[in-house]
Amino acid sequence: MEANCLAPSLGRYEFVLRRLHSLTGLMPIGGYLAFHLLTNASIIDGVEVYQRRADQIHELGVTTVVLLLEWPIIFIPILFHGILGIVIVSRGKRNVADYPFIGNIRYTLQRWTGVIAFLFIIWHVFHMHGWFKASWWVENVVRPLGGGRFDPHNAYTAAQAIQESVWVQAMFFVGVLASVYHFANGLWTMGITWGVWTSPRAQRWANVPCAAVGVFLACAGVAALIGMLVADKPGAGQVPPVQTQDSRIPTPTASVPSPVEFANPARIEVSRFPSSPPQRAGRTT
Amino acid sequence: MSSPRDPYEHGGGPARREAFDVVVLRQDGPGKPSYWERHRVAYEPDMNVISVLQRIAANARTAEGKPVAPIAWECNCLEEVCGACTMVINRRVRQACTALVDRLLDEHPGQIELRPMSKFPVIRDLVVDRSRMFETLKKIRAWLPVDSYLDMGPGPRQSQDNQELAYVLSKCMTCGCCLEACPQYVKIELQRQPGETDEQFDQRQKAAFDRGFLGAFAIAQIDLFNTNPIGEMTSRERLDALVAEGGIQVCGNAQNCVRVCPKEIPLTRSIARAGRIATRHVLKRWFDR
Ligand code: HEM
Ligand code: SF4
Ligand code: SF4
Ligand code: FES
Repeated sequence: MEANCLAPSLGRYEFVLRRLHSLTGLMPIGGYLAFHLLTNASIIDGVEVYQRRADQIHELGVTTVVLLLEWPIIFIPILFHGILGIVIVSRGKRNVADYPFIGNIRYTLQRWTGVIAFLFIIWHVFHMHGWFKASWWVENVVRPLGGGRFDPHNAYTAAQAIQESVWVQAMFFVGVLASVYHFANGLWTMGITWGVWTSPRAQRWANVPCAAVGVFLACAGVAALIGMLVADKPGAGQVPPVQTQDSRIPTPTASVPSPVEFANPARIEVSRFPSSPPQRAGRTT
Repeated sequence: MSSPRDPYEHGGGPARREAFDVVVLRQDGPGKPSYWERHRVAYEPDMNVISVLQRIAANARTAEGKPVAPIAWECNCLEEVCGACTMVINRRVRQACTALVDRLLDEHPGQIELRPMSKFPVIRDLVVDRSRMFETLKKIRAWLPVDSYLDMGPGPRQSQDNQELAYVLSKCMTCGCCLEACPQYVKIELQRQPGETDEQFDQRQKAAFDRGFLGAFAIAQIDLFNTNPIGEMTSRERLDALVAEGGIQVCGNAQNCVRVCPKEIPLTRSIARAGRIATRHVLKRWFDR
């Protein structure tokens, strides 16, 4: 078992690793989850508002976004927390059937939602982002598998990717709610882990703010999903749509080169159908 | 089950019970396969599981009438202070001496299920080897270092608050219920290797125990001895054990321990207090070197 071969060398650092696991759960992962859900919930006010949010983030420039934000403060902490989380899950011996106490149910859900969140995040990042932006990877792996659907310069592509299939919608619904439960319940266990709430009474009361955070983020997540489902193609936004024969396929409107494109010219192409072979029509270089 | 109770069925009320079944998960020795065995016991008022086991031993026959070796179990105090009789009764860990048959049959009419604890190596039938717990107590130095040939005079005074905290924590009887119910506490059972001496095996086992989780009881004992004014003088050694491999970080906050502790020890309070102190201790170790 992986846990057993890791143990001899990592045992000495078990305490520090577990404290880092706890810390990364709150910051940056939990913080990012809140930011991410609230950003996406802005689509409920219309695709134009959502586009403006995306532009604000991507105004930072591709180097900042990819090298300073995405990898160091989002992907790497999630991978660290997620992989260590799987090791932790594999080492426990769940027993809710015999001890169906509320604390034990929450503990077990914390593990299940962690695993669901892990699988969901891996798929979700591939589906929307593609993991890596190197053009050989995008062309040979991401495109053929129907990933990398989100183009920040045509933020409507996110809604479009979600509207496409009821399976995608179901995965989002489960993945988002699992992540939110995991974060809210994790806040509560964190308070014990770090000794913020120690007495049984304080621990009971601490449920209130943690549940409030959970309900608030669940609402934001569901609002984002509803917003994505009802979003129309951008009308009078910065990205004027061009009519095509099939109204479900937007044309490569974003063919104006943007700073992102120097890293990956293939990204300009926004009109992708999951089953269609990689199209080259939208390329300008 | 069915809604109107048949007065002649088991569980119809103490006066109407005649006999009930006891199914026991038996094991003939360490590392041997386990197997279920069914016994039939005549009902008497006010029985507990120890008296049931005594009747089974006296009869030494299965429900089918097959003669069998008596079932092995342990007990001492018969009043829930020694912890020796701890076993899994109707799928929940508790002391056999205070598990009352009337209540067990109310919960589950007609049958009582007995198993050895699952987190410790089985020695035979319902007898398990809890030496890991005692090794843990040594690891965390769960004692006050007052051995001396000299008269050291009276110890420091303790506040009333401290005494009250210490009293509840001192009730722990090392029974292991908190460990049996803990999803983060996993069994460590080594197989003896061919040609291995007792000493070699013990050493290997101790090393394995050393890396396993301390468990809730030990964290509460660290809390007890570190808040004692004399124990506090050697608190660093206990905190080192608290943050070593298998230390407090393994706890996943399921809080089953506090729910099953027969002594109602506020284990999760000790765990949270220890969590706070552990972080500070590790930071101090880094910066005060
Ligand atoms: C959606 C992103 C995630 C967020 C916001 C998040 C947040 C948290 C937080 C705040 C905690 C509490 C830490 C503590 O009790 O000290 C936690 C614990 C945990 N997380 Fe995550 N997490 C996320 C993803 C994951 C993933 C992908 C896994 C992989 C399986 C995972 C597995 C775990 C486990 C097993 C625990 C319990 C640790 C323990 O109780 O000791 N988490 N998480
Ligand atoms: S709170 Fe910790 S020690 Fe207690 S049962 Fe849960 S995981 Fe085990
Ligand atoms: S803390 Fe409670 S359950 Fe655990 S060993 Fe002590 S008395 Fe038993
Ligand atoms: S015999 Fe001592 S606790 Fe049951």
